[in-house]
Amino acid sequence: MDFKIKRKSTKTIVTGSLVDTYPIDLQFYKIPPTENISLQEFETLALERLTLLRCLATATTLKGLRMYSDEWTEYVLSDLRSQGLKYYSKLCEKSGCGTQEVDLQARRKDHIAHFILRLAYCRTEDLRRWFIARELELFKMRFLTMKSDAVDTFFKLNNLSYTNISDDEKKEIMPYLRDSTFYQSNQNIESFKFYKVRFHEVLDLVKARKVYLHAGYAYIPHKDFISVLSAQYRTHLRQSLAIACRHLGEIEQDERLVALLKGLHQSYSGNDYISDVKVTIPIESINSLSVKSFPFCMRQLHEQLRSVHHLKHGGRLQYGLFLKGIGVTLEDSLRFWREEFTKIMESDKFEKQYAYNIRYNYGKEGSKKNYAPFNCLKIINTNVGPGECHGCPFRHSDLNVLKNKLKGYGLEGQAANDIVDMTKKGHYQIACSKYFDAIHNTDLGIGINHPNQYFEESQKLMKGDVKMEPKKETKSSNINIKKEECLEDMDFEEITE
Amino acid sequence: MVGQHDENLLPEMLPVYYTRLFPQNIFCRWLACGSSPQPLSNRELSFTLADDIYLRYLSINNQKEFQTLLQKKCPHKLDIGAVYNTKPSIGRHDAVVLSRELVFDIDLTDYDEVRTCCQEAKVCNKCWKFMVVACEIINAALKDDFGFQNILWVFSGRRGCHCWVSDYEARTLDSPGRAAVADYLCLIFGGENKNKKVHLGSDNLHSSIKRSLNIIDRYFLEILEDQDFLSTSEGTKKFLKIIPDDTLRKQVEESFGRGSSTVDKWECFIQTYYQYCKENINAIRKMKYLVEEIKIQYCYPRLDVNVTKGFNHLLKSPFSIHPKTGKVSIVFKPENARSMKLEDIPTIYSLLDDNSPDKIQHQNNMRTAVKNFQEVVFSLEKTEAMRRRNDASKYIIL
Repeated sequence: MDFKIKRKSTKTIVTGSLVDTYPIDLQFYKIPPTENISLQEFETLALERLTLLRCLATATTLKGLRMYSDEWTEYVLSDLRSQGLKYYSKLCEKSGCGTQEVDLQARRKDHIAHFILRLAYCRTEDLRRWFIARELELFKMRFLTMKSDAVDTFFKLNNLSYTNISDDEKKEIMPYLRDSTFYQSNQNIESFKFYKVRFHEVLDLVKARKVYLHAGYAYIPHKDFISVLSAQYRTHLRQSLAIACRHLGEIEQDERLVALLKGLHQSYSGNDYISDVKVTIPIESINSLSVKSFPFCMRQLHEQLRSVHHLKHGGRLQYGLFLKGIGVTLEDSLRFWREEFTKIMESDKFEKQYAYNIRYNYGKEGSKKNYAPFNCLKIINTNVGPGECHGCPFRHSDLNVLKNKLKGYGLEGQAANDIVDMTKKGHYQIACSKYFDAIHNTDLGIGINHPNQYFEESQKLMKGDVKMEPKKETKSSNINIKKEECLEDMDFEEITE
Repeated sequence: MVGQHDENLLPEMLPVYYTRLFPQNIFCRWLACGSSPQPLSNRELSFTLADDIYLRYLSINNQKEFQTLLQKKCPHKLDIGAVYNTKPSIGRHDAVVLSRELVFDIDLTDYDEVRTCCQEAKVCNKCWKFMVVACEIINAALKDDFGFQNILWVFSGRRGCHCWVSDYEARTLDSPGRAAVADYLCLIFGGENKNKKVHLGSDNLHSSIKRSLNIIDRYFLEILEDQDFLSTSEGTKKFLKIIPDDTLRKQVEESFGRGSSTVDKWECFIQTYYQYCKENINAIRKMKYLVEEIKIQYCYPRLDVNVTKGFNHLLKSPFSIHPKTGKVSIVFKPENARSMKLEDIPTIYSLLDDNSPDKIQHQNNMRTAVKNFQEVVFSLEKTEAMRRRNDASKYIIL
């Protein structure tokens, strides 16, 4: 049952012993594996790596741990061990250059598995994003735990050479470095070596204003090299996935692989709420629905629209796509928006400036794409500017504003406090789930990752598809049940593209 | 009415404006240089005709074609898009955007929650000061931090500014890169549901923030007086909501009784704040930079980040006429922004109507604007020539 993993190009063929092939625990995955492996191993390796990537995601969203913090790393490592993936926990814990057989075998598996998942995750933009975000976290975690001699070897093996700036130059700009570099207060910044790189090589630091910039150069200390490496790795992965995607046809001639590769990602990509709208919701019912079944974010957009008869672009997009997703027809949508907007403007202006966008949302204009309603991740990460009220109310509101709104919705006491507590800790989706329970007077603890999912759950409840469970359960078990639903939701650090 | 705005006159006046006053030559050189190494014809232009008829995916090969196109279509508004791998056309959805100036768009409507003199489309010399501050802050960051040199500042025609960065590195910056630059420059976050929109933490302030605060400080008192934020009870209420600490908020509210003008009240706030911090060591940690945060919330540039992040967002061209105001989108020097007055900005009517009282003055201002444009384009051409020479010599060595 052997078969050959197809290669996309005639890159250098790996020869020699495993020591030559895999000198170090961490690599950029530049050269694809060329050996023969059994289908069985193919499948096992793929599933194991998937478990690894899922584990990273769980640590961030469900456990709410700060990425790359000690607790975060500890959680990942112990989870890997308990799932029987010792070789991964070893690769992640103290990456080095060991030459024992177990080291080499672990690296070999890591290498092959990475390339298998590329094939499964190159299919759509969403999958690519998810995969890149996870692989980058993994890479970063492994680099950060790497022994210092291994770091040197890693740089040498990958032909990365940088020279630090002179002491004179450093002295001259020291005040700026002290203000602008991000470092722990117990460290002595004077002792750091600084390196000069173009600003576009460390976009994550630029974005977060964690680096001193001057005349197009970023001055980074040694520890921030991970940003340079991540950026390079990200570019490399993005290109490789695009190439892999173009060659999918060849790979899928092998039927044995098709089922496996497709199945792999299907089990983890949530519903996108584009195509399978079965019911139509009459627009007349929207007022009452907004109170009973809309998530907070949509309810406040609806109320804003009703009260000021206008929403800014971000709000129209977020709310308009949501309405489409729950089953409001294009005709109803146009009528709904027109009714409100024409209270403050000429209908001519509405037709010219706004109707186009509504038809656009339904895929009737422009590139005619049928756009998907936004999921929680996108809404949470969105920019909310002056005068706008879209976004996630838990993420984008001051706490007292939030409290007042909850009060206005009749939520007070323990229920409101629970919601506010979760918000304070930055668990916006859990806060949303608490809001769901408070509104419906239940204790389901549903993992919310999409406003349209919220709506569907609510409708199911009202129609009695789900039995009410007013009894209290422990939090953790609730969360575990819903693990899979939240998996695609963790790109908090992804640079939007 | 002499020199007054009348949209019905546009079809008649625009052809004259485009032939006699629009700097076609410099405009084409600017676009060509900013499109290189792609040819000028790969750049998308878009026209808005009378009655909001929108023509996208236009392109030109040279100045002559541009002139013909202007005469034929007589656009009420001109927009500039991206440079594609091929000549842009409606049918081609496979065309790839290769480059585009890095652009910034600041609009006074985004200041509606802080300005008291005007709202929405209205603008006066008082609120124009926000634009001056924004322009100085962004210009300094682009030059000092990012090392960009070819920066063009354009009045947007009604209530804002556009900034075009034409350096090669800026033009070819990818989407994540643009997003990162935009985020680096953004300090104000949150919409209707956030009262305190700036959070600086408690570490040292980043050098770019310090520089921005220095710029703000040069204008802050002036803006306080102009805007008179704290003269109404509504304004004070809004201000007090920004203060995150309940006790301090009450104390500040009480102290406001002592002052009458906004400047006095601001002083009261500062004193109360420092006193409070002296007495409550913990408070310092929680709101170490409250004063700076409030200054930033009131005065720091409010960018429309989507314009900067998007690779192929269309943006109004320099020297296009704003169809609603008739004003020319003039090019200005950021260091002169401060002395610029809105009534000095030429309109198509004041330039072409012989009876206009401002005609001479406005024609002079128009000439200055064209000269400013020229300076940027000449410097860009020099940099581009140098870059190409360097690339060529690299090639020979290889």
